[in-house]
Amino acid sequence: MIKFENVTKTYNRSVRALDDISFNVKGGEIVGFIGPNGSGKTTTMKLLTGIIRPDSGKITVNGFNIREDPIKVKESIGYISDNPDMFLRLKGTEFLELIGDIYKVPTDERRERISSLAEKFGLTGALSSPMMSYSHGMRQKIMVIAALLHKPPVWILDEPMVGLDPKSAFELKQLMREHTREGNAVFFSTHILEVAEKLCGRVIIIKKGNILYDGTLEELEKQNKNDSLENIFLELTEK
Amino acid sequence: MKMYLRLVSALIQGVEPSDKEKKRNKIFYIVMAIIAGFGIMLPMTFFVGVIIYSMTGALLPFGTPENGAELFLHLIATFSFIFGLNVIFSVFYFSGDIESLLPLPLRPYQIIGAKFTAALISESVMEWLVLAAALIGYTIGGKMPFYAWLGVIIGTITMPILPLIYCGIICMIVMYFTRFIKNKDTVNKITGLFTFAVIVGIVYTGSLSGFNTDKLIDALSKPDNALLNVMNCIFPTVPLLIRSMGTGSPLELILYLLINAAAVCIFMLLAQVLYLPSVVGIGQGGAKERHSAAEIISKMKRHSTVITCLKKEFRILVRTPAYFTNCVMINFMCPVFVYLAFVIHGQTNFLESFIYGIKSGNRESVLMLVLGITAVSVLVTAINCIASSAITREGKHFAFIKYIPVPYMTQLNVKALISIIFSGSGMILSIVWMGIQLNTGYKFTLFCCLLSLLCVSFATYFGIFMDCINPKLIWDDELNALRGNYNIFFNMAMAIVIEGVLCTGSFLLYKYTPLGVLFIIIIDFVILMLLNAVSYLLCYYKAGRLIEELEG
Repeated sequence: MIKFENVTKTYNRSVRALDDISFNVKGGEIVGFIGPNGSGKTTTMKLLTGIIRPDSGKITVNGFNIREDPIKVKESIGYISDNPDMFLRLKGTEFLELIGDIYKVPTDERRERISSLAEKFGLTGALSSPMMSYSHGMRQKIMVIAALLHKPPVWILDEPMVGLDPKSAFELKQLMREHTREGNAVFFSTHILEVAEKLCGRVIIIKKGNILYDGTLEELEKQNKNDSLENIFLELTEK
Repeated sequence: MKMYLRLVSALIQGVEPSDKEKKRNKIFYIVMAIIAGFGIMLPMTFFVGVIIYSMTGALLPFGTPENGAELFLHLIATFSFIFGLNVIFSVFYFSGDIESLLPLPLRPYQIIGAKFTAALISESVMEWLVLAAALIGYTIGGKMPFYAWLGVIIGTITMPILPLIYCGIICMIVMYFTRFIKNKDTVNKITGLFTFAVIVGIVYTGSLSGFNTDKLIDALSKPDNALLNVMNCIFPTVPLLIRSMGTGSPLELILYLLINAAAVCIFMLLAQVLYLPSVVGIGQGGAKERHSAAEIISKMKRHSTVITCLKKEFRILVRTPAYFTNCVMINFMCPVFVYLAFVIHGQTNFLESFIYGIKSGNRESVLMLVLGITAVSVLVTAINCIASSAITREGKHFAFIKYIPVPYMTQLNVKALISIIFSGSGMILSIVWMGIQLNTGYKFTLFCCLLSLLCVSFATYFGIFMDCINPKLIWDDELNALRGNYNIFFNMAMAIVIEGVLCTGSFLLYKYTPLGVLFIIIIDFVILMLLNAVSYLLCYYKAGRLIEELEG
């Protein structure tokens, strides 16, 4: 559902953030994207969502090429950015209504989905308050609800667990599993190796814009004589 | 001292455009700076200089040459105080850097000193130019001796200090002794309303007294002017500087510097005592839940993308106090001024003859009215900066407009629509009120409204395009998005230059060609239609690409 083919991205014509990288994410997969700070994780996420353009290479999401059908690609994606401080002057309900209208979610479906997701994340009581009064975690939760509101086939989540309380993190992980069970795809970046270990069928490890590893965790552990993911990660990224 | 300088430099870098933003379009900055410099700054400073020069020359025979310059400096100081209040409140108590500065091993006076200096530098660029022009005008007009130039240099640099110190002291005392102002929205609302009330008050009292140049010169020619005496007590540095320039008395200049130094010391002392207890615990303020979420969710309905995005823009502009006072409220000052001008300001010769000219169908007066409406419409749209900050206002969440499945041009049209709604409604109210007062007839009033909307729409799309070229996306406080934003200033300069060319051209056509007023107005109408087409097409073909290239 996600095809990233020979993508290169350079900032200010000098800093090479991604160096000719390629990977695929198939339907039914949860893929963890792991790497140290400045490795190119957020750049990859931004390229997938059309926020920035690649210098070269081809990006396809849900069968649509991002250059040729940017609107179709954006409709197919549920994106959580790394900064949930957005439209803080709006109330939670107003923000979700905005998202519902932008993604053309039918009225009944919208009401039902907002109610159930807000209930799951324990946000129902706060929805009628301005988002400015929310804590960081609450803002992150409303971004999660907004990203999932239109039932997108592809979830692209940049550090989605940051700021979530354990119950909400658990609920999100459950939702991710349910989503992939329906044949959809989840691609998410994380710093928390335990999350990747428990959730992902596959991980991609990136460093300085190059993919160091792309495969299952079992294979990775086998290759590294059953060492812990933490040690393997440190060894790979500090080489 | 080293620490203080480092802090000031760090704080100024937070207000100025980032290196990334500067690099983004160096040529754009250079071209715009030249246009702004020659289109606004130089003419304005020259104009101020000439006024003070003439006023000083006119007062010289009465033996009170200093009164004109004194009055002008008091006016500058008063406006600096009024507009500084909001800035100082925001910078001292509600800027994003406070959470980073408070845990550092810094003394309160060091934090306040650095914040004050950064605010002074970023807020006073234009003021320094105007002060320099006024003091030069006074020195030349009053045929002052050579040493007066020392006063020009010292006065230009130091004059903005005292009004901002007043703002700082008032702000710290208010925050220390009151418990009700614990969030920035309240502060912004209070200072916004205060500014609005003071400006309307100044216009109102000026109107009541039937202000005109003869009366002003007459009042200033008297050595004992009541208004100046009161203002001299409020800003004692003004008379000291002006008189020291005239008499060459080093004592008065030293006293001037001493008063400034004493004000700084008192301010620092108060900062040491008052700042920390008043700043701790400040927040954005929690809002209370008014309706149950279930109730709101059950009432949710599907709207078109344009309507929903328009509602979002409207809510953000109205609910964000910095935007409300600077972008929204300013539009409704125009009808207030028109109302005051007609209801109270009946006695001045110029307005009376102008009103008489319109009522009797004098062609020159009609042309002046039409040109005036076009100029004010463009100016109001540029000043309210709803359009020229359309992308800037997105700030750190600029990426949102890129990852939602809505074409960029649709989003830009929504941003244009909100600017046209606010700018246009203020202008239409003013024109309708003016039409009623001048008895111009509904057809002419409607035509003027249409012409005004054309100007608003041109200035809107042009402003949006200008903001797309180089938006200021890095700011930590909404006021920072508007203040110190060169794009807004450049857009204003461009709008003034374009409108200036249109109005001057029309007037020259009227004066020096046999073309009739109606024909000239039709030419203006056609030019405005063309300008609209050009600015819209610029947005249509270029703005989308510019947004796509921005990496946010």
